[in-house]
Amino acid sequence: MRVKSWLIVLAASLLIAGFGHNQAHAAPYEGYTYNYWGDAVKSPIAFLPSRVITGDEAGTGAWQSPLDLYAAKDGLLYILDSGNGRIVVLNEKWETVRVIQEFNHDGKKDSFNNPEGLFVTEAGQIYVADTENRRIVELNQDGTFVRAIGAPESDVLSDTFEYFPRKVIVDKAGRIYVVGRGVFEGLIEFDSDGRFTGFMGTNRVQFDPVDLFWKTVSTKEQREKMIRFIPLEFNNADIDDGGFIYTTTADKNSLSAVKRLNPSGIDVLRVNGEFAPVGDLTFNRSSFVDIQVSSNGVYRALDSTRGRVFTYNEDGNLLYVIGQLGNQIGTFKNPVAIESYGDAIYVLDRDLGRITEFKATTFGSLVNEANRLYSSGKHTEAAKLWQEVLRLDANYEMAYIGIGKSMLREGKYKDAMTYLKLGNDREYYSKALAKYRREYMREYFGMYMTVAIALLISVIVWRRIARTRNERGVRDVAN
Amino acid sequence: MSLIKELKYSLHVAVRPFDGYWDLKYENKGRLRVALLVLLAVTITMILKRQFAGYVVNDNYPLSLNSINEFKYIVLPFLLWCISNWSLTTLMDGEGKFKDILIATGYAMLPLILVNIPNILLSNVITLRESSFYYLLDSFGVIWFVWLLFIGTKTVHQYSVMKTITTMLLTLVVMGVVIFLGLLFFSLIQQIISFGYTLFQEITLRE
Repeated sequence: MRVKSWLIVLAASLLIAGFGHNQAHAAPYEGYTYNYWGDAVKSPIAFLPSRVITGDEAGTGAWQSPLDLYAAKDGLLYILDSGNGRIVVLNEKWETVRVIQEFNHDGKKDSFNNPEGLFVTEAGQIYVADTENRRIVELNQDGTFVRAIGAPESDVLSDTFEYFPRKVIVDKAGRIYVVGRGVFEGLIEFDSDGRFTGFMGTNRVQFDPVDLFWKTVSTKEQREKMIRFIPLEFNNADIDDGGFIYTTTADKNSLSAVKRLNPSGIDVLRVNGEFAPVGDLTFNRSSFVDIQVSSNGVYRALDSTRGRVFTYNEDGNLLYVIGQLGNQIGTFKNPVAIESYGDAIYVLDRDLGRITEFKATTFGSLVNEANRLYSSGKHTEAAKLWQEVLRLDANYEMAYIGIGKSMLREGKYKDAMTYLKLGNDREYYSKALAKYRREYMREYFGMYMTVAIALLISVIVWRRIARTRNERGVRDVAN
Repeated sequence: MSLIKELKYSLHVAVRPFDGYWDLKYENKGRLRVALLVLLAVTITMILKRQFAGYVVNDNYPLSLNSINEFKYIVLPFLLWCISNWSLTTLMDGEGKFKDILIATGYAMLPLILVNIPNILLSNVITLRESSFYYLLDSFGVIWFVWLLFIGTKTVHQYSVMKTITTMLLTLVVMGVVIFLGLLFFSLIQQIISFGYTLFQEITLRE
């Protein structure tokens, strides 16, 4: 009797333990990366959905097509509920802290009209791209009005210039950069006082030779009916701690879907691998709608074509891909904004009015940590973690390269060559080969030279013997 | 002449082409089996090159390597060249017979083996910075081959320099025409077969 009850307790505890596990097969999407050859390779899932929240669950009423999200440094999550023209602020436990619906503007009640962008500075100042009101609004953290920045005024702007601010970012010096709807000149830049100073980071015009051919042979009337060659329009932007601005374009043909602009507006994005960070390498390419820079130069871009989040490291290597379009928890209908805080990723779905939080799995946190050490130059420590990554995913090329580079530093040139070859890094393979070659020659040069000289001497001696024999033979015949 | 001697003679042709090709044709020293052997060896060399060239200069996707393909890309162009050249030179007062052309082209391919085999070995010990030597040797092999092909064509058909060059260029055009006709032929045959098949289906399925 006693044994039986013990057995029941044991079985129950086993059952409960089984429930507790976050099992991978429950994931609503597949993990993959791209290898050196551009083939999609399956890989463990790096992030899994942990919780979701809608407006009703937050107690604010449903969010009407929310368009932007911001995770501030203090852990507060700002949601721009565009349809209702308000800002909802959640704390880390996802309880509603504040709802900013309207504000006092010069003694009058004022509110937002279909705002599309939101930014919160480190000091807690809230900047809103109040799109239909054609202005940027700055608010204090408690929602009181500070100032409104209207349309840029300058001689360089054409008369037909229409100002619809879509997204806004603010750098540490207080300069304001605005992504405008239908603005091809780049980001609209204001100084800290709100004066227009110019455009930055203009995208270059792209056209294909076939179009150019047709354009040259067609008549003027035909040409006017054609689409004009215009530079690409930015659709989103983010700023990192160093003041570099990351931008995205939705254009699927662009090879620089992501840009990293330095303060003078030049693209300095590092592309180390074979492919620029463009998302999926399929025929129907990804189209990025949002970008978010997290620590150590890692950035995540949100693709609206397939609802995926692509995470790249500072060298432009794809670390992992999560998410998908669908109707399960962890998939999206129309993802519009991405943010991350700590080890969590938040994705805002416009159609469902819902935020999904993703937490790193064992694999995900290993990759994050290994990449952190790797990018800060701690190759030996990183190599240990890369070994762990390889135990979970033997196809992870970054891990082979990481280990290879660490071995190269430790002087294990032959092993480094093996690993770098597996990771397809020709440049470092070649470096390892040069070192190994020198080491090999130093060790065996004497031996090889001895053998070579011995061979040479024996050949000479053998020839001389053969010749004297021949001569003797000739002499014998002569005699 | 034994095979060894014949092979030695092919080396002589590669190094002293004027003298070598003359004797090949007029002293009857050329052997078809040597030409075919060289062709086979070139194919094997190219397969080895794809597979075993040093990692630093080897950009081939391992999963896409296929020895049959290599065979196709060397033997087919070889035959195409010989056939096109023969069809052209019979119209342009060339003195060479089809066998002569086969032999001349086969012997001309010898440098591809002579250069590529050491090059494969070398490529395994060079770094990225030294890889230009590999490409230099590679192009040297190709230039040597074209040079031999030029002398071979010139000697076999007893042409002048300009006529040889035009003939070689025209041969390339003829190769294109042959490929075009071949594709046309296959596509027409395909159409006829599918027409016949649908007709057959139509008749058999009718009550």
